[in-house]
Amino acid sequence: MGAVVTQLLERPFDQRLDRAVTIPVNGTDNERVRQVTTADLDMLLRRVAQRDPEAFAALYDATRSRVYGMVARVLRDRGYSEETTQDVYLQVWRTAESYDPASGSALAWLLTLAHRRAVDRVRAEQAATQRDSRYGATTLERPSDHVSDAVISGEERQRVTACLGGLTDLQRECIELAYYQGMTYVQVSERLSANLATVKSRMRDGLRALRNCLGVR
Amino acid sequence: MTHSHDSTVGDDLLALAVPYALHALSDDERDALESRLSTAGLAVADAFYDEVRAVRETMAVVAAASAEEPPTELRGRLLSAVANDNVRFLPPSNRRRTAWMSVAAALAVGLITVGIGVSLRPPAQTPSTAEQVFAASDVHTISGAIPAGGTATVVFSRDRNAGVLVMNDVPPPALGTVYQMWLVSDSGATSAGTMDAQAVAPSTTAVLTDLGNSKKLKFTVEPGSGSTQPTGQVIAELPLI
Repeated sequence: MGAVVTQLLERPFDQRLDRAVTIPVNGTDNERVRQVTTADLDMLLRRVAQRDPEAFAALYDATRSRVYGMVARVLRDRGYSEETTQDVYLQVWRTAESYDPASGSALAWLLTLAHRRAVDRVRAEQAATQRDSRYGATTLERPSDHVSDAVISGEERQRVTACLGGLTDLQRECIELAYYQGMTYVQVSERLSANLATVKSRMRDGLRALRNCLGVR
Repeated sequence: MTHSHDSTVGDDLLALAVPYALHALSDDERDALESRLSTAGLAVADAFYDEVRAVRETMAVVAAASAEEPPTELRGRLLSAVANDNVRFLPPSNRRRTAWMSVAAALAVGLITVGIGVSLRPPAQTPSTAEQVFAASDVHTISGAIPAGGTATVVFSRDRNAGVLVMNDVPPPALGTVYQMWLVSDSGATSAGTMDAQAVAPSTTAVLTDLGNSKKLKFTVEPGSGSTQPTGQVIAELPLI
């Protein structure tokens, strides 16, 4: 028992792994860094499916701020968000082979998986405690800091923020409640005293507007 | 007219593509929708899943706006968990099991500050409870600080009806008392074992079997070798959700 642990503790994992990482996502100001592309992530995820720890490290570095930030927006609790993010990446390690490039990008696959877990967690928490005050409303455009520019450029964030700003208040509200507060569209309609058809069409129109604005095909 | 009927059904289903893609359906609604889609005809199903794909791609891009760095310790914990996974050098039959033993061991190490053993043995004929928990698709991690010092972390799976508890740096119970763990459900508390001073220091793990309908794991201080129902001071509670 002790031997296993000693072995684990003595191995300098981070250093060893960083050497082999091909995508410089942790670059310093002096280093040339490039944006991680969708194709890079698809390739990394395929390597993760073959149990490649270096690829897993690179995938984590390239996506962790998106995943954690989204999970934290849903859960609004550092501890829960860290636990859920850990569970998400363990699930990635375990199920990467189920990723099918034909069904979408690796990033969308990862964030869908992460959002599913975050929503499951927030619904479980709410069912257990009904602590509504903790899951109060926030705005969709809340800025966040401390994200490496090597992973997400300021330009990209501004573009997304601008596109979110282009939605109508009603569209944004529906997406906020459903996506970031984990409500079902039926709960959204109850919250907004709007009928189901209206809520569905606001969500759909809002998503179409976002998609067009962001140029997602 | 058949055509217009199909169109209506198709429109009806397509209107749910966005809520489906955003996980904004209850589990029952989602199951019902998927079953309707499976019989709806190829054109409708294709249009539906195409819209779902587009919504998910869009939200993946939107995630740039909420990006936030996770705590730095998480990286080391995850990389330790997978880096010791030498499955590529093992025959396929041993793969999963060995991989998950390593992940479990490494995760536990990540959670502790003083090196201790994790009671995970090399692959046996059947995976241990801990291995099964770590390999479960619904694995969850909950940790909490204990006011007197140290932390308790439970990794559990409802599917496996079991969990693994790791306690780190928890001060020993006072002389003549033990820490006792309780699985608490609506119908009351069931003992999940005790820990004396020797078992606690500096770290310990325990396997929790039969989680049942329990909603939390409670820790109390009990006299002697433990009680049949919680009587002493509650030192920690971890929600099992």
